[in-house]
Parts: sequence; structure tokens; C-alpha cells
Amino acid sequence: MVNPLANGDEREKKMPMAQSNVRAHTRPIIEVRNLRKEYPVEDETVVALERVNLAIPQGQICCIFGESGSGKSTLLNQLAGMEKPTRGGVRIGGVQVSKLSERELAAFRQKHIGFVFQSYNLLPNLTALENVAMPLMFRGVPKDQRERTARAVLKRVGLGHRLTHYPRQMSGGQQQRVGIARAFVTKPEVVFADEPTGNLDSKTKAEVMAMICSFARDFNQTIVLVTHDPQMASYADRIVTLLDGRIVSDRANQPALSSPTSSQSSLTRPQSDITINQGASR
Amino acid sequence: MRFGDILRLCRQNLWRRKSRTILTVLGVIVGCCSIVLMISLGQGINEQNEKMLKSMGDLSIVTVYTNGSYGSGMMMGSGASSSSASSDVKLNDESVESFRALAGVSGVTPVMNYNYNSSARTGAGGRYLYDYVQIMGIDMSQFDQMGFKLKDGALPMREGEVLAGEWLAYDFMDTLKNGEMRETSRGDGCLWNDDTAQCDPEDDPYFKPIGTQLTLTTGANYQGDPYTQNLYGTGSGGGSAGGAGESQNVSVDMRIAGVTVSDYNKGFATSDGIVMDLKSLKELIAKVDPSAAKQRTANYDQVLVKAQDMASVPEVESQIKALGYETSSYEDMRKSLEEQSRAIQLILGGIGAVSLLVAAIGIANTMVMSVTERTREIGIMKALGCYVRDIRVMFLTEAGAIGFLGGLIGCIISAMLSLGINMAGMTYMGGGMASSSGGDGSGSSSDGSIWTMLWQATVGGEDVTRYSVIPWWLYAFAILFATLIGLLFGFGPANKAVKIPALDAIKNSE
Repeated sequence: MVNPLANGDEREKKMPMAQSNVRAHTRPIIEVRNLRKEYPVEDETVVALERVNLAIPQGQICCIFGESGSGKSTLLNQLAGMEKPTRGGVRIGGVQVSKLSERELAAFRQKHIGFVFQSYNLLPNLTALENVAMPLMFRGVPKDQRERTARAVLKRVGLGHRLTHYPRQMSGGQQQRVGIARAFVTKPEVVFADEPTGNLDSKTKAEVMAMICSFARDFNQTIVLVTHDPQMASYADRIVTLLDGRIVSDRANQPALSSPTSSQSSLTRPQSDITINQGASR
Repeated sequence: MRFGDILRLCRQNLWRRKSRTILTVLGVIVGCCSIVLMISLGQGINEQNEKMLKSMGDLSIVTVYTNGSYGSGMMMGSGASSSSASSDVKLNDESVESFRALAGVSGVTPVMNYNYNSSARTGAGGRYLYDYVQIMGIDMSQFDQMGFKLKDGALPMREGEVLAGEWLAYDFMDTLKNGEMRETSRGDGCLWNDDTAQCDPEDDPYFKPIGTQLTLTTGANYQGDPYTQNLYGTGSGGGSAGGAGESQNVSVDMRIAGVTVSDYNKGFATSDGIVMDLKSLKELIAKVDPSAAKQRTANYDQVLVKAQDMASVPEVESQIKALGYETSSYEDMRKSLEEQSRAIQLILGGIGAVSLLVAAIGIANTMVMSVTERTREIGIMKALGCYVRDIRVMFLTEAGAIGFLGGLIGCIISAMLSLGINMAGMTYMGGGMASSSGGDGSGSSSDGSIWTMLWQATVGGEDVTRYSVIPWWLYAFAILFATLIGLLFGFGPANKAVKIPALDAIKNSE
């Protein structure tokens, strides 16, 4: 059996996180090649994704936009390694995610990936602080150290006074802010956000989106945002639209609102980085 | 994940569903209690058996007899003589020497029982009488090797000196006080009085044995002392017979040099009779019944062979049997008792195990429900990068913790129940099992305070009967077993948890 720790180290070397922005731009952090996903439904086969090609550079906030049933959630599942694609592959930071074993995948998620869920998905019997510290706990970080880190992140999302509250004692917006804190506490290169504002009112939506974007700008993190809400899509640098499992449009977007610290960099991101759907040529 | 974190999560999760956890633990407690108590009752039977065997005397003694001498050998001093019965092998001095040469034998002595009626008198004017006293002859030079013990005094060195059985002095009655006797509990510590429901104080015997002169009256046709015959109303017929035999009766004076420790396995005389040297007994027989003496003194009723230890008893027995003799020892009895109590323990333990099995199914049920309820949580944890191994360990820890808690509390409760059983047994039964013991118990249970009683019920003692005995290993075993059962029955649910895909978490189903 392969030593997963050694593998993790190797993978870290391949990851361009600590390297200069210039290099980061030259090599996309997420590469999707010729992805196809089929589901067997009774006797038939339903094709959820077909010939999807996508490259997302580091630091980009990329929105995958589509109506329900367009295959956007399926695409997210493939990207995050939740499901194995029928054909094609997904690389994150040079690592073939679809080929990792379950254990390697867990180690990979610990180090490089964060999740923000639509229904927050906080553990109900843990406090806000414990929920945020959880990904660090999985890594084996000692309690006081991980709680120090978690406390700092929670303060940043404006919940410094809610550390010992349980999820049921908080509003939806607060819960989602805990969820965001949890996704960013490990400083992952990539954060997947699946309809992060689906259950929130419009005012809270704006707050939550602003928060996600601000984290991403500050740490040069890549966000893959899945939504069917055009208002949310407007926060992204780039909007990839899916219809019936195919990419039908891929365009750059001027973010409606972004953190003042790094809005400049997102504007100057070269268009050439974005790979247009070239499925037909392959 | 650190194990400390897993333990903390485990505690939180168990505490979250308090009532279910408590009920499951309760099931394990009942199962653990039943298994521990059942085995402890079996252990109690074991302990009682051991005490009983010990009270019977030296377990390393093998009694050797010939086919013909069996009757008289077992029913010592019954008056019937059957040593003359024909048999190929004879128990004589030669065979005694051959036994001595066997491996594993530490001492051999012939045992000769005096087969004529005799009565002993002592005190001023022969005031105190013990009729039908039993007399046993042994080889005094083998006294120590055979494991005989002196309670007081010294071995007989001179002509006319004998040893008295431990309770001999209590067997005398006062002929001037209508045959009144002094009472003793014979080492039990309690002389129970049904009227007062208390222990009566012990009497002193009429005389101190050491140095006392006994006058032994005996004869080939002696029917017993006239006083006894009158006392029990057989005087009219027996008196004349006694009178007729009076002329042949012999009177011998003897002095008690020492007192033996009672040991029924070595002969009744060590308790309530007179033990004398083989040579002196042979001389006495020659005096009383000269015609039969030659035949009587050449062959022995039985020979006692002492093995070096209990383990060598079977070997010694089989060697002697190979020489053509019959043997008996407590080895067979000990074995069958041991087998019996093992069988009882197995049955009792089986009953206990069933209830623990039920509890184990309870654990499995709780864990399956827990996994089902927490499907989403497990998915979230996996999505956030929790190792599959950690999830498995987490669920196994929860199941193991339920087992461990149940085992621990079950052991504490069993200990208290066992204490209660023993206390009740001691209070209402008064240590009944030990009453058959002729041992030298110090007799302290009557004056014991509640604390000594508690102590004795817990750790046992020389003269207490415990119905429920829990050795320390049983506690360790019970806790370990309960934990293992928990882990075993938690394994299925834990594997189920592990198989939950991370995808379940991000499906937007609330």
C-alpha cells in the first residue's frame, strides 16, 4: 500500500499555492478534460455530463450556472471527487482526483479543498467553534491550537461572540457564516460552494457572497460556485453556463461586488486563461 | 485524528442521546451482572467443596485394604472381624515395606483397629465413664511422616502411654450425675441453642487429658460397662451376659501422653478414640484373646499410605493397585466434585451469557440506529476530509464504551449483590456448611462485628461460608468481555457507517 502521507507531501510540492502569481496563471489549478458522466436509470442510460472541458486558473471565482437538471451539481461532484466520472478526468493542482483511493481522497480534501453547502451541514452537537475547528481536528491538530485558528476565522466572519453557540441557536445566515469559516479555516486552494445562498434571504445572500469573495481575494483562493441564481452569478469573475450536461456559454464577468483589496487583480485576469469549450475538436 | 478527539466526540455523541445510551448500558449491566453472579455462585460451590474436603482431613492419604478387609476397614470398630476372609494378597509387615519403597510415598503405617468392646474410666473412683471407646494402633515412628499432628503433649515414649483423640475428654459422662456430659462445638465456634437462638458458651471437659490415668476394661466377650447397660435399659438381659463374661475381662491402666489433632481421614480415633502404638495394641490383643491373637496381629485391616502431595496421589494409588490391593482416597471424590461444579458453572455461565447476548444485540441495535440517524453527519465529515478509518474507530469506540460502561457498572453492582448474598447467607444460615468440620476454627463468627462480617463476606475466611465468590479475574474478565462484545457487535454498524458516501452530505435534501 502506498504511504498516503508521503503522497500528500509530493502532492503539496506539485501544488502551486506558494508560488508566484505569474506561474499560477500559466497553469490552471482545475483542469477538466473531456468529462462524461452517465447514470443508469432503470433500463436506460441518462447522460448527465458530456464532453465537458474546463480550466480554472488559481484565484478565479468561477460560477457554474444553470437551471436545475442542467448537470451543474453533477459537475461539482466530479470536480470534488465525490463521484467517479464515466470518462475523462479531473485534475486539481496536477493531481488526478478521479483516480485517488478513498483514503488518498480524504487526505487530499483535508489539505486542498473546502466546502460550503446549501444547507450549511453543520454538526448539530458541536458548537460553532468546534464545527469550524473540525477539519483541523481531522488533520490531528491539537485542540488549543486548532481552536485558536478557528476563533480567528470566526471573528473574521463576524461571529466572535457566538463561539459556543450550537447551530440550532443561530439564524440561517449565521449558520452559513460558520459554514464559510469552516470551509476557509484550512486555507484550501479550492473552495466548492454549492448554492451557498439557496436557503437565505436576499440581504443575507449579499453578505454571504461578499464574505466568500473577500476570503478568496485575500488568500488567492479559487472558488467554484454552483448556482441557478443570476444575482449570485454576478459575483463571479467568470460564468460557465451548463445546459443539458454541456457547456453552452463561458464568459468573463465584471464582479458586481468584490473585496476592495483584490478587485484589481480579478479585473486584469487575462481572457486567454479561460478555455472555451473545445469538446468538438477532441 | 487524535484518539483524544475521538473519545471526546464519542462522549458527546453518547450524551446527545442520553436515554437511549442509558437504556443500552442498562442492558449490558444486567447481562454482565447475571454472568458474573452466575459464575460467582459456581465459584462459591467450588469454595464450599474445597472446604468440605479439607474438613474431611488429609487429602494426600491413600487407604489400602484387601478385598476381604473392606468391611472392617471402612466400618472401624464395628466389632465384626472379617480380616480372616480369604484373599490372595495379605496386608502384613511385608506389604507395608513394599509400599514404603514406592515412588511418591512419604509415609506408611498399618492401622489396626481393636475389635473388642472396651470402656474407659477415669477420675476419683472411676467416676467418669466412656463406654465403647475406639482404639486404633499405628506405627508411632511414622507419626510425623504420615501427617498426624499433636495438639498437645508428646508422643507416647513409655509402656502404658497412649494418645487421646482431640475430643475424647468430652465423650466421658459423669456416672454420679446421671450420665451428664460436657458440651463442645468441636471447633465450629458455635454451640447452637435452638431455644435461645444463640451460641451457648463452651464447657470445659471433666478433666484435662494430658497426664490423666485411664482404666480400660475390655475382654473377648465384654458387652460394655454395666452402668451404661442399666442407663439404657438393656440391663436385664445384658447384665447377666456381662456378668458371665466378667471373669475373662482384662483391666489395663494407661496414661494419656498427648492429644492428636482430629483427622477423620486418618481414623475416627484421632477425634474420639485412643491412639496407641501398634506393638502395644498387639500385646493388648494377645492378652485379651490369646487364641485369635496370632492371626489377628499378623494381618492388618488397612494400611495408610501418605503421598508426598496431592498431585502424586493418583500415581501412588495406581502403583498400589498394581500390587493387587484395593485403595481408596479422596482423589476420586475431589475429581467428581470438581467436574460437578464445573458443569454447574458452565450451565450457570451459559444462562448469564444469554442475557449478555441480548444486551449485545441491544448494542448493535443502538449503533445501527445511530448510524442511520447520522448518515448526513458522516457524509459531511467525509466531505471535509475525515479518514474512513477514523469514522470506523469512532463508531467502534462508541459501541465499546457502551460495553465497557455496562461491564464496569455491572461489576460494581455484582460486587454489592454478591456481598448481600453472602451477608444474608451468613446471617440466616450461620455458616452452616462448616458445621460438619472437625477443624480447629477459632470460633470468631459469633462475636464478629458488622465490619468483620463485611470483610469476611468479601474475602472469605477460615470459618465462613460464602455462597457467591467473585475472584478478581472475574471482574477483569467481565469488563473485558463486555467491551469486546460491544466492539464485536459495533463492527457491523461501523462498517455500515464507513460505506456512506460523502455525496450524501452535499445532496441538498434537508
